[in-house]
Amino acid sequence: MKRILSVALGILAAIGGFVDIGDIVFNVQAGSMFGYQLLWVVVIGVGGIMTYAEMCGRVAAVSERAVFDAVRERLGFGVGLVALVAGQFVNLMTLTAEIGGIALVLQLLSALPYRVLLVLAAVVLLLVLWLMSFQWIERVFGYCGLALLVFAVAAIKLQPDWGRVARGFVPSGGSGDLAVYLYFVVGLIGAAMVPYEVYFYSSGAVEERWTPKDLGTNRANVLIGYSLGGILSCALMICAGALLLPNGITAELLGTVALVAEVPLGQIGLLLALIGTLFAVSGAAIDSAFSGGYNVAQFFGWEWGRYRKNAGAPRFTIAWFVMLTVAFVIVMTGVDPILVTELSVIFSVVALPLTYIPILLVANDRAYMGRYANGRLSNVLGIFYLVVVLVIAAAAIPLLVLSNMGQG
Amino acid sequence: MKTSGPIDLALGLLDHQLVDSDNRRCGKVDDLEIEGLDTASPRLAAIIVGAPAWRGRGRVGRLAARLAGGRSTRVPWSEVEEIASDVQLRKPAGELRLDAAEERARRFIARLPGAER
Repeated sequence: MKRILSVALGILAAIGGFVDIGDIVFNVQAGSMFGYQLLWVVVIGVGGIMTYAEMCGRVAAVSERAVFDAVRERLGFGVGLVALVAGQFVNLMTLTAEIGGIALVLQLLSALPYRVLLVLAAVVLLLVLWLMSFQWIERVFGYCGLALLVFAVAAIKLQPDWGRVARGFVPSGGSGDLAVYLYFVVGLIGAAMVPYEVYFYSSGAVEERWTPKDLGTNRANVLIGYSLGGILSCALMICAGALLLPNGITAELLGTVALVAEVPLGQIGLLLALIGTLFAVSGAAIDSAFSGGYNVAQFFGWEWGRYRKNAGAPRFTIAWFVMLTVAFVIVMTGVDPILVTELSVIFSVVALPLTYIPILLVANDRAYMGRYANGRLSNVLGIFYLVVVLVIAAAAIPLLVLSNMGQG
Repeated sequence: MKTSGPIDLALGLLDHQLVDSDNRRCGKVDDLEIEGLDTASPRLAAIIVGAPAWRGRGRVGRLAARLAGGRSTRVPWSEVEEIASDVQLRKPAGELRLDAAEERARRFIARLPGAER
């Protein structure tokens, strides 16, 4: 039992961090427009987050440093502060999108007005962040998010053409508008690798006071958690490709996402899809709010961590509270959460290199890491993904404009 | 002061985490004070903590220092216990005057219900 619970951080990181609103929106839209052709991109994205999450977990376990400790030490004050501002900006956009997403799901469940549900979402998030222990947050939001597995069942029930699904895992140029296709390549990798996932994961490892003894747990977390996340992402895309594309439905609403589970599985499918989405998106909101606190506290050296209690890490507490409040105010203005989601993913791609470069440097530093420094596999993958991230970071904004945000 | 060997001041000390004798995080090594730079044996005199110390940290640092204001604190080098993954100090943050902002924030949070959750 203890071993099952010990992978909770990985499950939460995967369900609440990986399969969040950005992932849902991009995978379902990609499937509804390009069928199974973009499945290979999900594999690349999953490999990237696995590589860097494993490194972050290892650095945290061995040297007790979370991401923004490494950023400050390696990039120095000036460049580090730029990385902090970029990271916090993306965190804030992500949190805004997730709060909106929670309200959209609640709306499908209750038919209450959107703004009432935004208030409800913000109040519940505040109470969870303020009162619940880190371990219970992981368990509740990680495991309830597993209801999303209904999409894997739906994907099988929809009886897609498996030969064509298999061909989707082979990289191709894609048919249709090239700019739109490439926009989705960038978006899918970005949605898989959003930076708050590693902020949260590395800080969570310090919250749980990992030591080198926990490196096995780290590896299990990363492999099990992100594989699960990858399977769910593929399932979402397959469902959309099998159901929405042939019927000419483009997925611009969260309701469309729930529909892909309802058609093959009925009411129970719909309900599980909505519950899974609700907990996954709430988990992501919690991750990104805490990440806001973690980053700023680590950069300036303040006491931080949920394990310290609210008054025991007061500036960390104030930081996540401010983050939550600002995101709430933004989403209350009535901006479209799906639009914010897409923008947050694309901007997060631009912020990625400043997050990953210091991690790669620290993970290679034997003075910090001793015999746990990166091996050859971690470095080959780490450098490969750094190149991928630099390329997509450079391409992200031009593609956003050229593809008219994926609308063609 | 204990270390595991010689340290590179720029990479191994500057911008590292400070931890007090109660094992609480209490700032970063924002700057270093080095004495006798014009002599044959310069000596590390103190760690400087706080926003004004960012002025020496490039253009972004100057801007941040100006926006943040406040005062910096000088921690004499003799107060450093050990340089491990953190820079460990010999006394509690309060005695070294490193806890003013944290303490103000703590008093504010402590008034709210559930502050000790």
